[in-house]
Amino acid sequence: MSGVPVSAYLALALILFCIGLYGALTKKNTIIVLISIELMLNAVNINLITFSKLGMAPAITGQIFAIFVIAVAAAEVAVGIAILLSLYRNRKTVNIDDMNQLKN
Amino acid sequence: MENAWLIPLFPLLSFLALLLFGKRLKEASAYVGILLTLASLVFSVIVLVGRLTGATYKLEADWLQIGDLQLTVGFEVNQLNALMLVIVSLVSFLVHTYSKGYMHGDQRFPVFYAYLGLFTFAMLGLVLSPNLLQTYIFWELVGVGSFLLIGFYFNKESAKAAAKKAFIMTRIGDVGLFIGMILLFWQTGSFEYDEIFASVHAGEVSGTMITLTAILIFIGAVGKSGQFPLHTWLPDAMEGPTPVSALIHAATMVAAGVYLVATMFPLFAASETAMSTVAIVGAVTAIFAATIGLTQTDIKRVLAYSTVSQLGYMMLALGAAGYAAGVFHLMTHAFFKALLFLAAGSVIHAVHTQDIEKMGGLWKKLSFTAPLFLIGTLAISGVPLFSGFFSKDEILIAAWANGNYILFWLAVIAAFFTAFYMFRLFFMVFSGKARSEMKNVHESPVSMTGPMIVLGILAVVSGYVNTPWFGTFLGDWLVEGNEALGHGHIEGPAWIMIVATVVSLAGIYLAYLMYSKRSISRDWFTSRAPTLYSIVVNKYFIDEIYQTTIVYATKAISLFLRFIEMFLVNGLVQLVTGIVRGLGKTGAKLQNGQIQTYGTVAFLGLAVLLLIFALTGGYLNG
Amino acid sequence: MDSFYLSLLVFSPLLGIILLAFMPKGNEKGLKMLGVLATLPATVLALVAYFSYLGGTSLDSFSEQARWIQFGSFGAMDPNLFTVRYELGIDGFALLMIVLTSILATLAAIASFHIKKEWKGYFMLFLLLEIGMLGVFTAQNLILFFIFFEITLIPMFFLIGKWGYFDKEKAAYSFLIYNGLGSAILLIVIMVLFAKTGTTNIEALKILVNSPEQVLTPISDSLKMGLFIALLIAFGVKLPIFPLHSWMLRVHVEAPPSIVMLHSGILLKIGAFGLIRFGMGIFPEEFQELSVLIAVLGVVNLLYGAFLAFIQTDFKMVLAYSSISHMGIVLIGLGAYNEAGVQGAIFQVVSHGLISALLFFLVSVMYERLQTTHIANLGGLAKGMPLASGFLLAGAMASLGLPGMSGFVSEFMAFLGLFREMPVLAAVGTLGIIMTAVYLLRAVLAITYGKSDREYAGITDIRSFEWAPVLVLIGLIILIGVYPAVLSQPLETIVQGIGG
Repeated sequence: MSGVPVSAYLALALILFCIGLYGALTKKNTIIVLISIELMLNAVNINLITFSKLGMAPAITGQIFAIFVIAVAAAEVAVGIAILLSLYRNRKTVNIDDMNQLKN
Repeated sequence: MENAWLIPLFPLLSFLALLLFGKRLKEASAYVGILLTLASLVFSVIVLVGRLTGATYKLEADWLQIGDLQLTVGFEVNQLNALMLVIVSLVSFLVHTYSKGYMHGDQRFPVFYAYLGLFTFAMLGLVLSPNLLQTYIFWELVGVGSFLLIGFYFNKESAKAAAKKAFIMTRIGDVGLFIGMILLFWQTGSFEYDEIFASVHAGEVSGTMITLTAILIFIGAVGKSGQFPLHTWLPDAMEGPTPVSALIHAATMVAAGVYLVATMFPLFAASETAMSTVAIVGAVTAIFAATIGLTQTDIKRVLAYSTVSQLGYMMLALGAAGYAAGVFHLMTHAFFKALLFLAAGSVIHAVHTQDIEKMGGLWKKLSFTAPLFLIGTLAISGVPLFSGFFSKDEILIAAWANGNYILFWLAVIAAFFTAFYMFRLFFMVFSGKARSEMKNVHESPVSMTGPMIVLGILAVVSGYVNTPWFGTFLGDWLVEGNEALGHGHIEGPAWIMIVATVVSLAGIYLAYLMYSKRSISRDWFTSRAPTLYSIVVNKYFIDEIYQTTIVYATKAISLFLRFIEMFLVNGLVQLVTGIVRGLGKTGAKLQNGQIQTYGTVAFLGLAVLLLIFALTGGYLNG
Repeated sequence: MDSFYLSLLVFSPLLGIILLAFMPKGNEKGLKMLGVLATLPATVLALVAYFSYLGGTSLDSFSEQARWIQFGSFGAMDPNLFTVRYELGIDGFALLMIVLTSILATLAAIASFHIKKEWKGYFMLFLLLEIGMLGVFTAQNLILFFIFFEITLIPMFFLIGKWGYFDKEKAAYSFLIYNGLGSAILLIVIMVLFAKTGTTNIEALKILVNSPEQVLTPISDSLKMGLFIALLIAFGVKLPIFPLHSWMLRVHVEAPPSIVMLHSGILLKIGAFGLIRFGMGIFPEEFQELSVLIAVLGVVNLLYGAFLAFIQTDFKMVLAYSSISHMGIVLIGLGAYNEAGVQGAIFQVVSHGLISALLFFLVSVMYERLQTTHIANLGGLAKGMPLASGFLLAGAMASLGLPGMSGFVSEFMAFLGLFREMPVLAAVGTLGIIMTAVYLLRAVLAITYGKSDREYAGITDIRSFEWAPVLVLIGLIILIGVYPAVLSQPLETIVQGIGG
């Protein structure tokens, strides 16, 4: 257990987060963007749990927060997918560049 | 004497009452004005009598506090202003009475009397002032009174222009007074006359500063008294009703410049340069205006130029250290010039024109006015036994005694011109035959002739208060107790009096030959020197010179600034609005609706902030 | 300590706003009457305050405060740190400004009888503007000052944009842009001061910022200078100082005259008020260092305005440039930075407020009858409207500094001050005195005197309600001119000791 240093967990989280961020900012497919956001959330979760177990002042709050995030993410995915579906039905596309309705 | 402060308040009361109730009183307004100025006159005489035996009285109250500085207002009764009070209130009273007849039937009759009240108030206030600041205050108010009265016939474009010109020209001078006054204040720490003189006397003010401030104050006097080169407004001011010309532009306000120099005499006396400036300006003005007077054909303008010229005499007297002579001439001039103007008004009233070319042969038709006009003319020409003779004589002696021989001879020549053009005027108006058809020529009512008779008497007898034959009471009294003012009478060679007499009689004789007997053709001179004549008849083109230099320069500066306004300032406006608009447009462009762009920008911003935080540790300036 | 006097005074127009909200839109007479009445409580309260001050009441007794906003949790260190209180209070200058504001507001409300449409919205905005102006002069800390300052901008924007003349929208926008930029700069200054010192209370800042060797606060000299220059620009826009003045010309020409009465009478003066209260109060050393610059700007303003006023063809433009010129005298007085100069500047603030209000009221009277303010189209007014033109002449005389009227006293003192410090510059400035006479007489005489081609039959002279503003303003102008102690007395403590 103690063999794995904190930095490894953090590095994993960092890599995950960067991949997620990259995906969210560059991918054209909305589904991929959504998945990338999930990746970022999970990177955060890893961080939370890491500090909850191995931080300066270990406490259960971090894990509870992680569960909280997972719950919210699930809800978000449900709503997000629903929106995407209805968008796809209406516009026959999942390309994110076509979704600039906010502007007008 | 404690109640001298009431004197200016009577006319003020008249002004306010007529402003409020003038419409209802109609021509009865005249009585309000006449009675209240009479009250002023009575008080003034009481004050003068009191001052003849008593001492200078001064009373002051706080007016304005500036930090530790305390400015005061008050009044002072000394010899000079006790005399001035009587002159001003007397002439004002007579003009009030005269106007009742002259202005009869005018639509704005009450307004005229209200303005007269305002002017008289300001003039009396000016005379009573014990300090420079108060003098300046009333100095300006006097200017407004004059401005309103010149522009009284406001329908006339020329009256409008004259009023504007009078106000602005005198204001140019006033600014000189303003600067001089403030500079003196910071030098001496006071506006009070006595304290300024004490400080100057004690040598606390440097010589250059005395000269500078004295000349600046003199500029104020130049503006008000119509001295060269700020004289051009005075002849134009004749657009006002004639009684006004008598009161303001002959007897009182224009004399205020002389009065100011007389009041500030100890300051001027402390500077050689300032004194000679005053003397030179005075002498130049005297001869300069006299030459113009030779050619004018408007009865009032001739009188106006003669006023300018006579004021020049007074300045010359003061500049030549003849304090008493200057003030003496101020007094006699007030009487005979007011007389001349009122008589001229009476003539205008009778014939309804001001052009002397159209007059003639009025001697028999105006049996009161004509002799009175003659008295005035004799007095101004300096014919012996009339008041002008004595005072002019004193001035010539003062100029000679001071060693200004050039100025002395200039004054003598000016005296010759004066006699000549005044009698030219007299002969053209009263002798010979009428040169145009004149109906209804009638003598003026008693309200007009009465004041003229009073002035006529004064124009003769007022000279006898200060003569080399019976004693120089006035002069001695004026300088009593104040060494800085010089002597009451300056001894001079006896031939000066003879020269003055000969010169004035010669002028009269020449005028007689040319205009009455006509043994010399009127064109004798004009046909021989046409260029010179055209220069003089056009008043040396001074107005035109101002028009083409100062007025155009002002316009040019204004247009240049408008150019700046249009291009630089509005350019700035364009720049500001351009930047705002540009920022707005850029902002709008960023908003492309692409959620990913927003995200990228937000992320980059965060990255930059983190970078800054990492590099500086959170404190921008360490 | 906690009298609610000032709050009552400042927010008294609010009652009018609420009542107006319940009035029917079309009831013209009722709305106008209510609009005027709503300004009266403030006027009465301000006058009572003034006279009780003359009667010996200390101005401190008017101040009041309440807890308001707390930033961060520094309470443990010092409860005053990063706290913004709601605090109102007045000194002598502010007292004068409040009296001036409330009186002018009442008179401008009376002048608003000439407004032709949508009285309900007009008067509601008008009263809101009054709250803002009164608040600006009573605010005791910079944040409160800023809030009230902004409150004045918004109603002004609408009042110009909706009830103005032909080019009203443009005028309203340029008003908003310039003043918005000015207040943005002001906000930066306020925030920097707040961050550095932890307070925005003016009295506290006076002590903190000027502590020797920066013992109390970490503000370097160069930062202080920077802040002061920023302040000068922020208030310079308002005053306005050349070359930041063009917005104000538009406002003068396009806004309804009753609003210009307030704008020229009070709002421009906020610039001067700010410069004296904050510039001189918080940054005295920097002020002194830049006093030559300020005096030069003053002379430039004075002459620039005067020369341009000389060639204008619209009387409103003449008055607009004349305002620029007269604000130059304020700057001249401030630049002198001695007792006489500063007192002159404050006098000029009050005096010009009264005079320009009078002149613009007369413009309103003329425009209502003749539908023009172009000098060439007027002319011979004295024939048809002798009273109005008499007052116009009186107003012009007051404006050009005729003794016996308020303009002279202020002009005199400002120059008295400047002549002591910079005589040559002052001598150049006196050219402005001549030019003022020139342009005012040119314009006013062209309007009143001269031949008239116009038919004046059926045109009434000054009537009923119009007497009130004219008489009150002329009365005050002459009162100050003849007996200036009415103003100088409250100023004694402010002016004392300035410049040494």
